[in-house]
Amino acid sequence: MAKVIPRPTLSFWENIYFVEIFKGLTTTWGHAQKNLLHGDFPTRNYPEELPDLPRDYRARHRLMKRADGTPRCVACFMCSTACPARCINIVAEESDRADVEKRPAKFEIDLLLCVFCGFCVEACPCDAIRMDTTLGVMVADNRAEFVMTKEKLMDWQPKDFPATDTQSQKAPGGTLHAKALEDLNSGNRH
Amino acid sequence: MFDAVLSSLAWLIYALLPDVWVDWIAGNPYSFAGLLLPIVIPLVVFQILPLLVLIERRGAAFIQDRAGPNRAYIYIPGLGIKLRAFGMIYNATDAVKLLFKESFTPPFVHKGYYFLAPTIPVITALLSLALIPWFSPILYAVGDQLHRLNGQIINANSGLLLMFAMGGVGVYGVVLGAWASNSKYSLLGGMRASAMMISYEVSMGLSVIGMLMLVGSLSLTDVVEWQGAHTWGIVVQPIGFLLFLVCQFAEANRNPFDVAEGESELVAGFHTEFNGVKFMLYMTAEYLHVIIASILLATLYLGGYQLLPLPGFGTDWLKAHLGLVAGIMLAFTGVLVLGFAWLLTGRKKKVVGSAANAEIKAERAKEYNFYIALMSMAGLGAIAAGAACIALVHTAGLGSGVAGQTVYPGWVNAVTALVQFHILIGKAMLFCWLFVWVRWTLPRFRYDQIMALGWKVMLNIALLNLLATAVIAKLVR
Repeated sequence: MAKVIPRPTLSFWENIYFVEIFKGLTTTWGHAQKNLLHGDFPTRNYPEELPDLPRDYRARHRLMKRADGTPRCVACFMCSTACPARCINIVAEESDRADVEKRPAKFEIDLLLCVFCGFCVEACPCDAIRMDTTLGVMVADNRAEFVMTKEKLMDWQPKDFPATDTQSQKAPGGTLHAKALEDLNSGNRH
Repeated sequence: MFDAVLSSLAWLIYALLPDVWVDWIAGNPYSFAGLLLPIVIPLVVFQILPLLVLIERRGAAFIQDRAGPNRAYIYIPGLGIKLRAFGMIYNATDAVKLLFKESFTPPFVHKGYYFLAPTIPVITALLSLALIPWFSPILYAVGDQLHRLNGQIINANSGLLLMFAMGGVGVYGVVLGAWASNSKYSLLGGMRASAMMISYEVSMGLSVIGMLMLVGSLSLTDVVEWQGAHTWGIVVQPIGFLLFLVCQFAEANRNPFDVAEGESELVAGFHTEFNGVKFMLYMTAEYLHVIIASILLATLYLGGYQLLPLPGFGTDWLKAHLGLVAGIMLAFTGVLVLGFAWLLTGRKKKVVGSAANAEIKAERAKEYNFYIALMSMAGLGAIAAGAACIALVHTAGLGSGVAGQTVYPGWVNAVTALVQFHILIGKAMLFCWLFVWVRWTLPRFRYDQIMALGWKVMLNIALLNLLATAVIAKLVR
């Protein structure tokens, strides 16, 4: 059954507009005054003020590093297989480490193709690729710069990541680096 | 550009008047002041225009909990400061953009009227500036002859009627532009504008007659002088003031009466097909209308250039206490500027604190320090100048009697004119803010609601107000 919404009947004071207009004006005056005096806007002055993106926001990728600075990636192609946009281009080569079979000679992500679905992160068997950099905006003036090479993906510092992120702190320069390097050299990987 | 052309035209016409030449050659400086008036007034009013655009944009933003446009800047190389000037730079960027964009003419328009139409509202708006009394008439003596320099550019006895005529002709620009555009949206907007103008000019005329009946003259100078001798118009004609205010909103095509533009239903109404400089002229005219409506409201109902709503505080009192009044006004301005500087110190903390990196932190801190230093100096300077004015300037005994009138020396007259001009502009700015404030508060009326309000409500109240005023005025006299 249709719901009947009765038309509101206006009282005399509502009918002559002026009282209601002044009520509205006081409301907007309150906002104008608050914003002029205190300037607490819900909006931000991007890019002078950056947004607080959470770590689980799917931002630009990075490649995780072992304690000796080499990429954790073992060139298994799981991520490029999982990728729906086919933006990951890996060329594998033989690793010089005894305990690892392969390593990436080339690891490229084309950000212009990437759909930021995070499937590569899910697919990775050794936690080598992550999307927790909080770099939400990528700017370049030519297409070639949008292709993230292995070097660009590994260009991050442990101090930019929280202390609770133990895997990041094991990389060179991190708080857990000395212990991790010792473990790595004694053959106790990860 | 237009104001320059028009003011030079007005200057030429004025300069061709023979008695001005005679006066000038005879070494009368006041005739030179009269020559300057048609140039200075349009130029000064054009300086309010960018300020009004700024108030509109940032005011709208503040009302809607936004920061508003504040990104365009001018880099000052010597100081290394990116001067944003609170969004004022946007006026320059807008002007550059509109002046240099392609002047596209749609193939279906009527070319002649299409180019002519946008100039009409600007011309009529600038011409109505000539009818406003900016300061009280100056009495001066040449030899033992008494002369009078009017605070208007054109001192017509039919001042207010001419003013209304200018408003009425201004709408021709809208209708003509709409018709020449040869587009349905434009035509609908133009028709709405003309219908609204007809309906509301009736109420406007009737609402102001109450005031004119009390004054007994159509000359705007007489209206203001009457208010100085008695009290402000808003006190004796509160209902007339409210009606006139509402009609001015309709006259200036502003919310809640901007159905001519009506962007939610008519794209952009009458200026849908206009771009570049032609669009800029329409926008200029719209903001000029707001300024003129504000000045007219201040002149008719808020005492114009009169300082206080009490009798006995007219021009003569002002000239005798010039140092005090000018000093208080200067000091008040200084306090306002200092208050703004104090606001900026708080804002600086917030902006610098939330900056993304050290480079931006340093840059913003530098910019804000510049503003704060500049405003502190200006504010303190104004307060000091005001104090000096109060302490040192005494004009009470400077008047001398010529032909039964008190005549003051030239500098007193000049400063009085300046003070009165600023009083008028200050009152007008209050109304300018009201226009902005109301625009961002109220939704637009529907077209039939506007017609019903105009003909069935406002017209009746205006007539009743007129009748009541006539009866009371007759009884009191």
